Amino acid sequence: MSNVQLSCSALERLVARRTFPLHRRTSVCRNLFGPVDHEELNREMKVKMREISERDQQRWNFNFEANTPLVGDYEWEEVPVDKTPVFYQDSVQNGRTRVPATPTKQMSTSDSVLPETPRLDVLERLAVPESSSGPCPVEVNQENRTDKLNSGRPTHRTVPCVRRKRTTTTDNNTHITDFFVKRKRPADRKSNDMGACHVSKSPIPVEQTPRKRIR
Amino acid sequence: MAHVTSIQYEPVAEIGGGAYGTVYKARDTESGKFVALKSVRVPTDQNGLPVSTVREVALLRRLEQFDHPNVVRLMDVCATQRSNQETKVTLVFEHVDQDLKTYLERTPAPGLSPDCIKDLMRQLLCGLAFLHSNRVMHRDLKPENILVTSQGQVKLADFGLARIYSCHMALTPVVVTLWYRPPEVLLQSTYATPVDIWSTGCIFAEMFRRKPLFCGESEVDQLGKIFEVIGLPPEEEWPTDVTLSRKNFSPLMPRPITDFVAEINEQGAELLLKMLTFDPLKRISALNALEHSYFQDEETLTQTKS
Repeated sequence: MSNVQLSCSALERLVARRTFPLHRRTSVCRNLFGPVDHEELNREMKVKMREISERDQQRWNFNFEANTPLVGDYEWEEVPVDKTPVFYQDSVQNGRTRVPATPTKQMSTSDSVLPETPRLDVLERLAVPESSSGPCPVEVNQENRTDKLNSGRPTHRTVPCVRRKRTTTTDNNTHITDFFVKRKRPADRKSNDMGACHVSKSPIPVEQTPRKRIR
Repeated sequence: MAHVTSIQYEPVAEIGGGAYGTVYKARDTESGKFVALKSVRVPTDQNGLPVSTVREVALLRRLEQFDHPNVVRLMDVCATQRSNQETKVTLVFEHVDQDLKTYLERTPAPGLSPDCIKDLMRQLLCGLAFLHSNRVMHRDLKPENILVTSQGQVKLADFGLARIYSCHMALTPVVVTLWYRPPEVLLQSTYATPVDIWSTGCIFAEMFRRKPLFCGESEVDQLGKIFEVIGLPPEEEWPTDVTLSRKNFSPLMPRPITDFVAEINEQGAELLLKMLTFDPLKRISALNALEHSYFQDEETLTQTKS
């Protein structure tokens, strides 16, 4: 029953969205809250945006609009793209495609990528005594150390479903839950979905190339 | 070092307000941790940001709550409107110094030890299993977007908002590597999470070889290179919804994988073949791969040791 109601309201919302603000309202779309003052709404949105931007700017002491660092807890520095992983390179969302914004040497070249003269940071890294298991750089590294390292020790694949809720509490208060067994709270959906991947043999969420959804 | 970079790279021009060819990176003086900014410029219309972008951001933030050790930390998402046509979305990520590509390049001559490879692979699959169980596929897994910390911790990056939609790639001038693409993507058939397992297989092989396994120059060439190793799949496995016919390829028998990946042990070779399976439905899943005997044997080993 709840399903029916849900889809009904979803439909209504859809219709409302289609007809707003360009078309006349149909009888399906009822005006419950009075006319919308678009200008006021626009103004409020702009104010809200500004607030959010300012909060962002303060939090990171970085002016995202002008793309310039400010003074604060974070010490910003500009690093050439070829000194950081390609991943951090800026990109442009082009339709459904994303392309790097910077025309650096692309990953098309094969093994010949190693430069003849290793750059400074490479040298620093290589200058350190190596352990048997490959390159294990060093203190020069500027990255974050996590305490909960996932390396070295054998992990017990605890990870994929960290937040899985357990509903074993049913044992304790059977007489109460008896009344509610069939109810599913929407909040449980997430945990159910994830739980399912442990059970099913092939956890393959099928997705097709162009995802068409009703907007 | 900061001096060197500022001398070597003088800002020549600013394009659209953003410095060109540089990445902003910062140290949090309180925690000592490093962050880096990655901007994605998204075209907008009168409706604002595309729904797909909003959805991607929401997804990234939701994933972030799990704090998975093998996924790069996303600390914040900041949007600024640059014009009526464009919004800049800046993603604040934790900064990791190197990716798997440079990690492999910097590995001295004998290459990575088998234990090191196993450890990297386990972490890679853990991260992937996490993404897949949240219905996220990476779609463009390759050594460049697998970050490796100085402690040897693997962190997957470049999915979600940052992912590349392969079918449109041909329209863009940028050369993007095909080397980690699975057959179903090369054939433009439907695909799902098994795509990432194929890429993982290619990367697994590369860890031993220290050079890529299949280096094709076009989609057809890439497929040809793949079939030279795994053999031409039987007619019944060839997807029906594709334009490229199986007849375009010469009938090849599978060759022993150890011809291409010499140092791999028996269990490793078996797992690799399960990853490099043509039919995506028969390909092993990330969770099942973690259960594979290739990983189990070390666990029992360390148990007997301790």
